[in-house]
Amino acid sequence: MDTLARIKDLASKEFSLDAAALDPAAPLDKLGIDSLSFIEFMFKVEEEFGVSVSDEDLKGIRTLADLERHIATALASAGKA
Amino acid sequence: MAERRIALTGAGVISPLALSFQEFHRALCEARPGIRRLPPDIAQGSGVQVGATIDWPASTHFKEAESANLDRASQFALVAASQAIAASGIDAAGNRERFGVYWGTGLGGASTLETAYKQVYGAGEWRLRPLTVVMGMNNAAGSNVAVRHGLRGPFANFATACSSSAMALGEAMHVIRSGRADAMVAGGSEALLVPGTLAAWQALRTLAAADAADPAASCKPFDKRRAGLVLGEGAAAFVLEEESHARSRGAPILALLTGYGNSCDAVHMSRPDRDGQVRAMRAALEEAALAPDSIGYINAHGTATSVGDVVESEAINAVFGPAAEAVPVSSTKSLHGHLLGGAGALEFAAALLPLLRGVLPPTAFLDQPDPACKLRHVPKEAQQVAPPRAVMSNSFAFGGSNVVLIAERV
Repeated sequence: MDTLARIKDLASKEFSLDAAALDPAAPLDKLGIDSLSFIEFMFKVEEEFGVSVSDEDLKGIRTLADLERHIATALASAGKA
Repeated sequence: MAERRIALTGAGVISPLALSFQEFHRALCEARPGIRRLPPDIAQGSGVQVGATIDWPASTHFKEAESANLDRASQFALVAASQAIAASGIDAAGNRERFGVYWGTGLGGASTLETAYKQVYGAGEWRLRPLTVVMGMNNAAGSNVAVRHGLRGPFANFATACSSSAMALGEAMHVIRSGRADAMVAGGSEALLVPGTLAAWQALRTLAAADAADPAASCKPFDKRRAGLVLGEGAAAFVLEEESHARSRGAPILALLTGYGNSCDAVHMSRPDRDGQVRAMRAALEEAALAPDSIGYINAHGTATSVGDVVESEAINAVFGPAAEAVPVSSTKSLHGHLLGGAGALEFAAALLPLLRGVLPPTAFLDQPDPACKLRHVPKEAQQVAPPRAVMSNSFAFGGSNVVLIAERV
């Protein structure tokens, strides 16, 4: 499973959403994901991928596609990708 | 201006005996026991043997993703409050700003906090779930109720140990009476049957050991053989409305909440004080403008501790005088255990049984009444009576907080 698919899978479980219908380019609030829910979700994303996203980077994440890019970068810099 | 009278128009119960208000009343009529041996994963290490636990079907009430983000105490609160709102038939959307929530809980999200501490101190893992704070905070249960139903009126969370939810009910009555709200959801919840918290209670030496012959009979209020309290979990909630507000929409009215007494012993952190309890009972009677002989049933605090039951018996006799010989008293904790922050609301729900069905709930397992607890008991089994005019429910807490509620027949 690629990174985006894994993120969508986690999001679908966390927010009881249909993974196939999750638009990676949609703003998170349009997906019904508020800031508190997103912080809790990021906790699980970090565990899933074994990476850490800084508070500064977190502020720039507005969509699941943004999140995928951050995770991919973090994995690459950690030599995991 | 005529005094604003407060009607109870809906009730919800999540208890060790039953998962609805009606079924809770049926269980009390049958003296159905709710105390059992604790499973090893809960009792481990603490030495606590029995508790009044709930087989909680979280998945029937919440999606998995939802329940994972709600402490057990909040789950109980949400379901009990939803039951109460549904039963009252009130439309929350019509009047959100004048519809509020007053809630009571002793410890808040005990399970959430214990999970976090176990991880930090037990496993040395300091990376905690981000929702730990909002799941574990003391006001989480009440706030979840407000959020779920969009109730934007007055909000408060009372944390006065065993009187918390009785205080929430009494203060909710007053906030409606003051004109600052038309309707309130009020009640309380507790879910602290987790190992670390149980160990702390065990250290206090106030918990009963398991009855060797029958673990369900481990809590024996007013009995010579009483050996302490048994902790329980659950929630109870009510919808309170200004009476004309309730009548104008044709709401079902269970009873009227007419008296609320609140006092502090200011003597000792755990030892109960007769005079403090007397003051609270008298204040409730005074507010309801009732003489003691108008009360047809008292749901006692009756925790089954050696000192507590005697002090409460003396306090009742001091307030009721000769009328104490006639007023039936029971402690339903013998069946559902001690819900601490949820106890006042749950026992107020029990106290409505005589008003609604003409049935006195019993003190189960009361075979050998202690002569030092000179009361007119309702031993072992429920008793059928003519519905009384009024009932009283006592909640006396650690810290010296005493709350007494009086409800009257419509």
